[in-house]
Amino acid sequence: MKNTITLLIPLMLMAVAANTSATQPSEVYNYYCAQCHGSDGKGNGPNVTKDFATDPRDFSKVEDMQKLSDDDIRNVILNGGASVSKSSLMPAWSGTLSDEEVDGLVGVLRCISQSKAKL
Amino acid sequence: MQFVCGTSGIKDFRFTNGCDKAGKLKKFLLFTISITISSFTIADIGAGKTQYEKSNCQACHDTRGPAWEESVDDQLSKKGPELWYAGSKFNRSWLETWLVSPSPIRPMQYNSILEKNTGDHVALDAASAEAIADYLMSLTSDAVAGGKIKPKARAKGKLIFKKKMSCNGCHLYQDRNEVIGGLSGPSLVAAGARLNPDWIYAYLTNPKVFKPIGRMPGLKGVMRTRDIKEVSSYISSF
Repeated sequence: MKNTITLLIPLMLMAVAANTSATQPSEVYNYYCAQCHGSDGKGNGPNVTKDFATDPRDFSKVEDMQKLSDDDIRNVILNGGASVSKSSLMPAWSGTLSDEEVDGLVGVLRCISQSKAKL
Repeated sequence: MQFVCGTSGIKDFRFTNGCDKAGKLKKFLLFTISITISSFTIADIGAGKTQYEKSNCQACHDTRGPAWEESVDDQLSKKGPELWYAGSKFNRSWLETWLVSPSPIRPMQYNSILEKNTGDHVALDAASAEAIADYLMSLTSDAVAGGKIKPKARAKGKLIFKKKMSCNGCHLYQDRNEVIGGLSGPSLVAAGARLNPDWIYAYLTNPKVFKPIGRMPGLKGVMRTRDIKEVSSYISSF
């Protein structure tokens, strides 16, 4: 029993360390998404100049976000706007973000919009 | 012993003692010249590195490769762009000129999407810029294969840049007489003067080699190789 505990403690510490070193979903959002969608999620990032050909989605609009399932959001993040006949200004992030990071972003967007997924 | 080769034909030209001597002399001279050039080059790089450190460039720019960043926090801890592959990325003449008269490449401050770039990069004197350019151009990456991409302003490249991938969403570029585009990425105005076309291709193909954490989305598996080449050629033509 004592040996088992001795073995488990380092494993638990490693798990905690791994968890704390992972980038938080809000940081992932601020780093990648906010450049177009804005730090507050209202679609007003620095890239949205007069030349920007479309309005990035405003994540604070509950009624719009409720029309989307979590899988809809995941799909657009991974495969880009063009994959759902929207603007290619929303790039595909499949070559950049991990599945875990994308899941985290879905949570961030739900938090911004205070919406629940379409069932 | 003979030093004139012509009298005994091609075979003698190659193998007579006289020609052998002449050949040895030629080899010796070439060897001496190449050693001298290498010594100068190594000395230039060493002097350039000394100047780089004296100018305190390392306070903002990392020249230690390969890339070490593993998280967004790692990337955000950097004060300026990494330079460990500068010799593969930049055109030498542009680099030297820019170090003397720096102007903002990024509309926003490095790593920021909130603060505008105030253009406060240190300007160097010509001798320091030349020395530092010697050093930076010696820093290369094996991930950049030479001679693959040539600048070409073809319609297909333009279509990919503007419509298919919407690169202009994050990057400024010159469209006729107007500079337009997004602000989060480095400006691509006159990118052809600044960047090595082969580096553009290598970066678009596998950005994580150079920048494991970056706001530029990876295109591998998203775009066909020939389209990445096409848009690399197009950007190189700016």
